[in-house]
Amino acid sequence: MRYSPTTSKTKNAPLALNASYSRKKRLRANLTGYAFISPFVIGFLAFTFIPMLVSLYLSFTKYNLFADPVWIGTDNYVKMFTGDANYLNSVKVTFIYVFVGVPLRLAFALAVAMILNSKSRMVGFYRTIYYLPSIIGGSVAVSIMWRNIFSNEGIVNSALNLLGIPNVSWFGNPNASVFMLVTLSVWQFGSSMLIFLAGLKNISQEMYEAASVDGAGAVPKFFKITLPLLSSVVLFNMIMQTIGAFMTFVPAYIISKGEGGPLGGTMLYSLYLFRQAFMFSNMGYASAMAWIMLLFVGVLTGILFKTSKAWVFYESEGGR
Amino acid sequence: MASHRAKWTLYHILVGALALVMLYPIIWMLMSSFKESRTIFATANQLFPQSWHFENYTTGWAGVGGYSFGMYIFNSLKIVVLSTVGVALSSSLIAFGFARLNFFGKPFWFAVMMLTLMLPADVVLVPQYIIYAKLEWLNSIKPIVVPQFFGSAFFIFLLIQFIRTIPAELDDAATIDGCGKFRLYSHIILPLIKPALATVAIFSFYWRWEDLLGPVLYLNSPDKYTVSMGLKMFLDSESASNWGAMFAMSIVSLLPVMAVFFIFQKQIVEGISTTGLKG
Amino acid sequence: MKKAAGLITSAALVLSLLSGCGGKNDTASTNAGGDNKASGGDTPVTLRMSWWGSDARNEYTQQVIDLYEKEHTNVKIEVEYAAFDDYWKKLAPQAAANQLPDIMQMDISYISQYANNGQLEDLTSYAGSQINTADVAENVLSTGNVNDKLYGVPVGVNVLGFQYDPSMMEKAGISEIPKDWDWDTYQELAKKAGAAGIYFDSSMAPDIFFHYYLRTKGFSLYNAEGNALGYDDDKLFEDFFGMLVEMIKAKAVPTQDILTQTKGIVEENDIVKGKGIGMWQWSNQYVALQQAVNRPMELAPMPGPDMEKGLYMQPSMYFSIASSSKQKEEAAKFIDFWVNDVEANKLIMGERGVPISSKVKEALTPELSETAKQVFDFVTEMEPLSSPMSPPAPAGSSEVREMLGDYAEQMNFEQITPAEAAAKFRGEANAILANNQ
Repeated sequence: MRYSPTTSKTKNAPLALNASYSRKKRLRANLTGYAFISPFVIGFLAFTFIPMLVSLYLSFTKYNLFADPVWIGTDNYVKMFTGDANYLNSVKVTFIYVFVGVPLRLAFALAVAMILNSKSRMVGFYRTIYYLPSIIGGSVAVSIMWRNIFSNEGIVNSALNLLGIPNVSWFGNPNASVFMLVTLSVWQFGSSMLIFLAGLKNISQEMYEAASVDGAGAVPKFFKITLPLLSSVVLFNMIMQTIGAFMTFVPAYIISKGEGGPLGGTMLYSLYLFRQAFMFSNMGYASAMAWIMLLFVGVLTGILFKTSKAWVFYESEGGR
Repeated sequence: MASHRAKWTLYHILVGALALVMLYPIIWMLMSSFKESRTIFATANQLFPQSWHFENYTTGWAGVGGYSFGMYIFNSLKIVVLSTVGVALSSSLIAFGFARLNFFGKPFWFAVMMLTLMLPADVVLVPQYIIYAKLEWLNSIKPIVVPQFFGSAFFIFLLIQFIRTIPAELDDAATIDGCGKFRLYSHIILPLIKPALATVAIFSFYWRWEDLLGPVLYLNSPDKYTVSMGLKMFLDSESASNWGAMFAMSIVSLLPVMAVFFIFQKQIVEGISTTGLKG
Repeated sequence: MKKAAGLITSAALVLSLLSGCGGKNDTASTNAGGDNKASGGDTPVTLRMSWWGSDARNEYTQQVIDLYEKEHTNVKIEVEYAAFDDYWKKLAPQAAANQLPDIMQMDISYISQYANNGQLEDLTSYAGSQINTADVAENVLSTGNVNDKLYGVPVGVNVLGFQYDPSMMEKAGISEIPKDWDWDTYQELAKKAGAAGIYFDSSMAPDIFFHYYLRTKGFSLYNAEGNALGYDDDKLFEDFFGMLVEMIKAKAVPTQDILTQTKGIVEENDIVKGKGIGMWQWSNQYVALQQAVNRPMELAPMPGPDMEKGLYMQPSMYFSIASSSKQKEEAAKFIDFWVNDVEANKLIMGERGVPISSKVKEALTPELSETAKQVFDFVTEMEPLSSPMSPPAPAGSSEVREMLGDYAEQMNFEQITPAEAAAKFRGEANAILANNQ
């Protein structure tokens, strides 16, 4: 991932007349920079770095949490892709979850954020209502409720019947069951909505007014003003929601009671990883799974950042 | 004028109807909290209870194992408030560094920060636990709260993105004024990213509130247990679970989160427009 | 500037305050007194004890501890509890960090794993000295053995059976469950119920009941060494799971999608909703089921033939002592109190399974609720008809169990035939078990 949030201003700084002066200045800049990010660096070194290294090492071992790890080379990685159908299934389920769920959720969140970015007195109230589903998140109550909504006599099937669609057996069909998770994630779009809202608030009303004077309609305004000025926030939501979706654990765990059923239909990657780590005591294998995840999501994020150069507009860099 | 009013009526009807769909599951939960524990599942498809059982709230509030639910709320609040203050302060500081300053190794540290988001927590959990054990932090809220004071990648990245939407001319103006970088951060940038900070506060509050893994791992004594643990303890697969109380307390535990949301979302509403600075 | 600096200082202050709390933190049990060998009356002792379970269990366990602390004023017991799944999440890192509680509640599916990796103390020498086992039947105590060493004292025993609502059965046109029923009778009755539009049961937990079935035929799910399956004839697998599939087809058991949906939550079961007759499960789950059903219920023994060979008393849970504990004698004394003290057991009231001490069981019987008494009577009646338990499930068994569950699900969905499943299960299960040696 090569992403450098540099400010173009400093890049264009005039050459210093005197080398030692510039070195001093650079040193000073470096010190200031590190002073600001020092909490992260210290926290990372103290609490995260060593555990990460340990897990990388463990991924090349057979380790059951209690006995000493035994070095087995790349066996874990080989097994994952050649000898474990459940693993490949969890990859498939996770892909569906991410690549269907995230775009839906983002589109929904942006649409609602724009609707709620108005000056009606009711807006605070609506905003709270739309955010509510997101704050009951991973509780047991949600899992019970969600399973009842999708049961054979539940409201989802009743609604489908009204539209003339026959009952879908959400618990009997592994291809359908992942959509219980997708709908849950779309329903809980509140966090993305909030970030979009905060971003929309940063867009000056004058821009729109100027555009209105020019006679621009709603659609051109959206594409010419809203989207470009919101692009940094869109990038953020896209990346974070994608990473978050790949890591999703709680909904799958609570809705399938930790089993990922039916027939592995809700077995998200993180759930399978958790089962390997703590239910089956295959911590070595789980670590290998985690590092494959890191590699994949890392590359994907890197690509998103790369493409972002073409479409994200940063005001601090004077736009593009 | 009439068409304007019609437009607003339509707006409210649409937004209201969608809100109702969004809200249905929560209404279901609320209604379930008034049902008799045994009948919640048998009557899952009837919204309204046959008879109203308010005692779910009293038995739920009485809590688990002799500790009242109020104590769980207090314990959770302690963790959540400290964490939120810590994470907002540190993340904004770090984000400023990444967004506005140039220093050697910045892309590297940014990449490292993003990577910490991508490694599933399950595999670092045991080594981390051992570190906290060595520090003798077990059975305290420290392993949950202290790391928040070192920033959270999600919030840092969020704030970076917001800071970068602020025109750099402001910095230059401030720097010419002889303003130090820290002053630039505290006096110019911080006030400008208030909506984003409000978002951080809302998220952090809620995420710590619902966090189950941290408290389960690190808190041993029942008098330190949190709301998320308390809710789970109403249920047991081997004996009769107190579903009514669980639903009732789930509703109660929503209230602080809702309150925080309502307070901070105002910041988002007001946003940059009231600060008098034009983007 | 001042404001921000103030904020940061106060943040630092909060941090330092936080670390100030560290002093009274209790990793105490490990530090409290390393040399408590001669645990006399007044050396202060702090024990940590942990368990999983319900609200009611948390409450009475604390009362038992209070009672113990009153009698042993030098002992202080710090408790930790959590829901079942959280409990194991908590215990694993504690084991890795050498921070296990002195006394912990152990489950049969985890005990060999913890024992084989040296986390648990061998209690053989404590039994008979600190822990009085005079009133405990030998084949009950030995259920805590892993490789012939006692790693857990069983706290109570359970037995398998059919728990049902007689009135629902009558509705289905079945007058009673015959005394010595066998699998054929079961299928016959179940189909009759299915034909009447009433579910007979909600299928059977694959690992537990297949294991029982194998035992009636003289085999077991795992071999004695725990490195392979304990049966050679896949016909047994086909017969048993073929029967379960058959029951779904006959509508005597709900379809698999309903089973998936309602699994694990008693209140969601069809018997509670008035659509089913009964459930196959452990005797300690009867009280909760009866409460949820809220109608008179009864317990019936397992179907034969050769029920006596198949049936066994299984510990509902154990108390184990961590090998890292510095207070093993004191911990053992508390376990003794739990097992043998009548007053303590009047608080417990068999909630953790029927007490293993015959004396305690006798003393308790007159005080039991109607439902609890049914369980006690059933267990007492079954005890002479049972055979010794097979060794606790070996390492790797949790993975095998889940896999068997997956295959059962696939068979019930008719995605795979029992014959195919039998062969696949054998290959994969043996590989997992061998790999865990």
